[in-house]
Amino acid sequence: MNVTTNAAALVRQTLTGEVWPPLGDRHVYRTGPDGQAFALPGMGGMTLGVHCGDPATGYASDHLEPGASVRHRDPGANMALQFLTCVGNEVRVDSGPAAGAVGHVIGQHAYVLVDFTGPAAEQVTTGDAVTVTAVGQGLALTDHPVIVVKNCAPGLLAAMPGGTRPDGRLEVHVAARVPAEAVGAGAGMVSEYANTDLMGAYPGLGADLSLGLEGLRVGDIVAVADADHRFGRGYRPGFLTIGVISTGQCMLFGHGPGPSSLMSGPATAFALIDDPDANLSAWLHDEAEVTR
Amino acid sequence: MNAPRPVAVNMLGVVEHPALGGTPYRVDADGRPYLPVGDGGLVLGVRLGDPVAVLAGDHVAPGACLVHPDPAARHALVCYGCVGNPAEVRTGRAAGARGVVLGKRGEDGRLITGFRQEDLARMRPGDQVTVRASGQGWPPPGVPPGLVVLNAAPGLLAALPVSWPGHGPMTVGVRMTLPSKLAGNGVGRPAAAWDLDLQLGPGDAGPPGAGGPAGAGGPPGAGGAAIGGPGLLLGDLVAVADLDARQNMGFRRGWLTVGVVVHGASPLPGHGPGLTPLFTGPAPVLTAVPDAAGHRGLTESGLGLQ
Repeated sequence: MNVTTNAAALVRQTLTGEVWPPLGDRHVYRTGPDGQAFALPGMGGMTLGVHCGDPATGYASDHLEPGASVRHRDPGANMALQFLTCVGNEVRVDSGPAAGAVGHVIGQHAYVLVDFTGPAAEQVTTGDAVTVTAVGQGLALTDHPVIVVKNCAPGLLAAMPGGTRPDGRLEVHVAARVPAEAVGAGAGMVSEYANTDLMGAYPGLGADLSLGLEGLRVGDIVAVADADHRFGRGYRPGFLTIGVISTGQCMLFGHGPGPSSLMSGPATAFALIDDPDANLSAWLHDEAEVTR
Repeated sequence: MNAPRPVAVNMLGVVEHPALGGTPYRVDADGRPYLPVGDGGLVLGVRLGDPVAVLAGDHVAPGACLVHPDPAARHALVCYGCVGNPAEVRTGRAAGARGVVLGKRGEDGRLITGFRQEDLARMRPGDQVTVRASGQGWPPPGVPPGLVVLNAAPGLLAALPVSWPGHGPMTVGVRMTLPSKLAGNGVGRPAAAWDLDLQLGPGDAGPPGAGGPAGAGGPPGAGGAAIGGPGLLLGDLVAVADLDARQNMGFRRGWLTVGVVVHGASPLPGHGPGLTPLFTGPAPVLTAVPDAAGHRGLTESGLGLQ
């Protein structure tokens, strides 16, 4: 992105975590939109076979978290890990047979979510230690003071298309536009933690549930209408939030594929370009990493 | 088959003490720090019928919030407690005082109970309150098939502006009907145990020109005290269009959810006056009739609190 930032002033911090297990309870079932009882995998652990660029929905899954789901064992350190880690940050596996494998953060979902594209991902499992090089919180756009940037690595921002236009607006390429009606669970939470579930993306269920979002892909850059995520997440007419789809298929009602917040500000500060290629898969992983 | 009868369960609630972290400030929609006043616990001088816009606090509820020290018991207290259930103070200077459940709040869970102001003045955090919980999951007679009633004590319908002639939809008088995009915190959560925060800005849902300091079109949460939609009163019934609240609350085109406003606004983005859901169903079984000026929803007199 062709934009002036304060990236040189940002601090890098080395954080640790581990691939966290999926969690359940003895009552097993949760409830779908039509009252369906379901027990489906998706949250926690190392979820295989779904990467940036793949469809977000269409899986027998709930709260699908692509790749590794990472937490820190200490509650306070975990919150630091969740708050300080940014989309695009590099993550290295440090224990187990996949030690040395490198992936990238694609979002937060009460876990840090890490996409590993290489074959080593098959060897990653619950309990493996990872190291996160966290950088990005505090990133600011010098010429766009009304836009607040969150959860975005400076390297990711640099790789994205768009930037400052002659008219002063920030050009951002988005793969999808999301109506305010789609915002589900996550409204009212802080914007550095977890993500915003989007309703209206339940393929195969009733048309009365659809908001036309069944085509979202993991890693898509999206624009959420009338959403102010500068200091939390709320509805605000005339504002806009740019996010990246970091989680996929949900069966739980009021939930769905979710964007992690990247930028937010008045809608008039942005110039959106509809671009189906606006996806993390285009920018995150180099060739050497994919084959490792 | 005979219709099922509701069961009643005596549950123990404890009057909550407010709690803050080491840093007292929260942050509003514009990034300004504020101190959350009245967020849970025992609140004096706030009553059903008070405008939510004049409450200079955060999620202020009228009366005493009840909790339980065991998290699972707390969730059960909040889930099974229904609007209109009787409550009685068991310990402390107000022992014997009788009140009523007004609503509930989600997340960790709080059951909101109303008492007479002289009784509230004698109560203190830690007092034990018995709630005679009844009504959750029970389908009351006198409503259309396909309409789901939740969080409502047996008999509550008689205290609300509802009518059903025995065919067609049940009609409910409400202060206003809001679009589902104003549904904030609470979407995606179970309607039997959470409230739904309405993201009303200072210029929303009130009479023309009644916007707060931030002006019409300002953000939810901005404008200091005058947040949460002028014209909206605690105890009002409010309808939310395109919202299905049978289990988790979520978007469903053509459905309607009606609830009672049980706490005031919040400067937090994504939060606002809270609605405890009471009725949900598709348009053919549930119709809301808005009356911005004359609506009377849940009142102290209707609950026998005066």
